[in-house]
Amino acid sequence: MRINTQRFGRIDVDPNDVLTFQSGLPGLEDCREWALLADASNDALGWLQSTNQGDIALAVVSPRRFVPHYQVRIPRSELTPLSISDIRQAQVVVVVGQNGTGLTLNLKAPIVINLEARTGRQVVASGELPMQYELSTNRPPLKKSA
Amino acid sequence: MIGDTIVVTIVDIRGDKVRLGINAPSEVPVHRQEVYEAIQRENLNASQLEPKDTQSIGQLAERNATGSRDSRK
Repeated sequence: MRINTQRFGRIDVDPNDVLTFQSGLPGLEDCREWALLADASNDALGWLQSTNQGDIALAVVSPRRFVPHYQVRIPRSELTPLSISDIRQAQVVVVVGQNGTGLTLNLKAPIVINLEARTGRQVVASGELPMQYELSTNRPPLKKSA
Repeated sequence: MIGDTIVVTIVDIRGDKVRLGINAPSEVPVHRQEVYEAIQRENLNASQLEPKDTQSIGQLAERNATGSRDSRK
């Protein structure tokens, strides 16, 4: 299927690759279908592109790559709409945002994807987690050169 | 106490009316609706990003101590 996107121009997406978000996303409730695109220059980054609204896309990353100890506790009730019976069926990505200091990650509300069923949902993780985890201020210390 | 981070205090008592105060850290919304609204705002904020804004993200990636790639996403 062909999508005219604001960021990436006209792209072709296999309908089988489209993810269905039954409830859309908070703030983007009308966007029920999304395609997960790789960023051309950044293998750490993906883009969740709305298939019906070409100007709507969210940058997403695999959280462990940036926050190695990130652990998510998701209530079972949040996983059932996704037909996920085992957490290992789930792929978890987090949305990249920005604030005054730079890029941030929403660790509080990750997006859970069932790759097999092609469904997705943004869930609220338990516990105190930031909605804007600052990447620039949480950088690992610079290694000393030899 | 509600959980271990939210404290409910009695602010005022007048006759049969009791006014409660709720003290919570600023990042802990007290109501489910507030959580949803906060996520809405954050998604709308995040939807402003374009590829040029995320270019620095590769450098911000942390490496696991062993240097090996985590195959479990």
